[in-house]
Amino acid sequence: MIELKQITKQYLGQAMPAVENLSLSIPEGEICVLVGPSGCGKSTILRMINRMIEPTSGTVTIKGEDVSSTDSDQLRMGIGYVIQQIGLLPHRTIAENIAIVPRLYKWPKERIAKRVDELIVMMGLDLEKTRGKYPSQLSGGQMQRVGVARAMAVDPPIMLMDEPFGAVDPIARNHLQDELLRLQKEIKKTIVFVTHDINEAIKMGDNIAIFDAGKLVQFGTPEEILTNPKNSFVENFIGHDRVVKKLNLYRADDAMQPVGCLVKESDLQSAGQRMKDAGTEVAFLLNEVGQRLGHLTFAEFEAGKGDLEGLRKKVLRTEKAFVQISTSLPDALSLLLEFDSDYLGILKGDELCGMLSFKDIRKHVYRKDGE
Amino acid sequence: MTLKDFLNFLNKNTETIIEYTGNHFTLVLSAVIISLVIWVPVGLLLTKSDKWAARVLGLANTIFCIPSLSMFAILVTIPAFGLGRKSALFALILYAMMPLIRSVYDGAKNVDRSVIEAARGMGMSTARILREILVPLGMPIIFAGFRVTVVMTTGIAAIATYIGERNLGRFISEGLIRSNTPMMVTGALIISVIAIGLDTILGLIEKSIVPKGLRINR
Ligand SMILES: Nc1ncnc2c1ncn2[C@@H]1O[C@H](COP(=O)(O)OP(=O)(O)O)[C@@H](O)[C@H]1O
Ligand SMILES: [Mg+2]
Repeated sequence: MIELKQITKQYLGQAMPAVENLSLSIPEGEICVLVGPSGCGKSTILRMINRMIEPTSGTVTIKGEDVSSTDSDQLRMGIGYVIQQIGLLPHRTIAENIAIVPRLYKWPKERIAKRVDELIVMMGLDLEKTRGKYPSQLSGGQMQRVGVARAMAVDPPIMLMDEPFGAVDPIARNHLQDELLRLQKEIKKTIVFVTHDINEAIKMGDNIAIFDAGKLVQFGTPEEILTNPKNSFVENFIGHDRVVKKLNLYRADDAMQPVGCLVKESDLQSAGQRMKDAGTEVAFLLNEVGQRLGHLTFAEFEAGKGDLEGLRKKVLRTEKAFVQISTSLPDALSLLLEFDSDYLGILKGDELCGMLSFKDIRKHVYRKDGE
Repeated sequence: MTLKDFLNFLNKNTETIIEYTGNHFTLVLSAVIISLVIWVPVGLLLTKSDKWAARVLGLANTIFCIPSLSMFAILVTIPAFGLGRKSALFALILYAMMPLIRSVYDGAKNVDRSVIEAARGMGMSTARILREILVPLGMPIIFAGFRVTVVMTTGIAAIATYIGERNLGRFISEGLIRSNTPMMVTGALIISVIAIGLDTILGLIEKSIVPKGLRINR
């Protein structure tokens, strides 16, 4: 979709090029994150895509068309652009701010008004309260939403976002990230997203391009980059908690194994034999009407064999150790620790569909790690 | 001088007063209008180049420092101008250069860079950014400069009487020579009233012209 070919940008009076011989192909309909330390040339790259800056050499093409052969104002009208400082017009209301690009396209008034309302609602803002307000009357998070709404006003296929959530507090940022991801599932835009925060990159990116001093160091999916950092720069940039970060990419159902065996409460004394027969270390116990009571490991069974009542109590202590399949692995790990349990039962709706242990999580991470 | 002397003077010289006031007004008005037409675009243009901005603002400052009598004297010696309105007008326009260019330049430069960056990024043309962003957002500063210019021009115009302008300044200069207090007071008073009046009117216009969003506080 967006193709950068051997792009170099040398600013006048700078010793080093801000971007050096960059070739990068940005896939359609996905979020591509450009990440790297401050000053590594991310904004410069972004601004060469909509011709806010002209490259010293190389070409940028969008859908095969060289952007340098287009009218730059016309080009920019067709590309959403969001910056960290947002840049809302302080003398225009929120509705007027969102209407800027539709007005450039000379949309009729009614169409603009309808679209503006739609966007305000889509951004989760209160329509009546927000429409007529001025930017200075909004909070940082609200302004940022308006910034995104404004960039999406004419539904451009491409959005360029330069540290869009960099200036809001962490809670609002998390919120905005989640909402953009949710929105992206529907709108499927080609988004080039600049950030210096590796966590944001991992969370937001379908693909991540890591830069160091104007050069592309590694390009790949978050999984590829976390699994095989290309060199020590990438490793350091990701940080020592690389494996924990990687956990974030997975859900419980990615790592779970099938349920070992199910045992009725009344069959508790035969649970050991059942586990042996099934070749498993753990049994989940159900009461007479099929409700889940908890689980029991083979070791626990052996240790308390004679004392059925004691075994029952052990089982009941794990009655909360069930999670939904969509639970992220870090959350699952945290719950394993919290319940002081060896296993979590994994639920799909109300149905037990698998189980997860420390070992499963470890195995999953290492499998993906290729170690 | 008694109030009676003063009223007497007003009574006897009504026609002259009206004539001088009219002349004064037209001189100020034409000087201000021509200045606006010339200097506002120049001020806006200067935002494009820091180098030229420094040069032109420097020049404007220098001109502004020339005492008005000297300025009139210099202009009169230039054959194309000579005694009279042309020289007076030209001098007033030169004096207006500093406050007008400065305020337009500052006003436009003061606009948050990110607002312009975002506007450019959305595909707004330079002309549109100028019209819809720089001018309205720069308005408070531009207007302050404009008010200073108008008041200043009203004052300096009086001095043009020395190069043949028949305006309110003449009451003051002749009054001084003839020790005619009512005459001096008349001139001084009317000039002050004009200056204060214009400034007040402009202040009211300013209030209505400054964009609403800029007047709202969190
Ligand atoms: N207009 C400019 N003129 C000169 N140098 C610039 C300009 N813009 C950016 N640079 C330099 O280019 C490098 C990359 O800047 P930038 O693309 O803004 O980095 P990032 O967005 O990754 O922080 C920096 O060293 C910066 O100082
Ligand atoms: Mg940047």
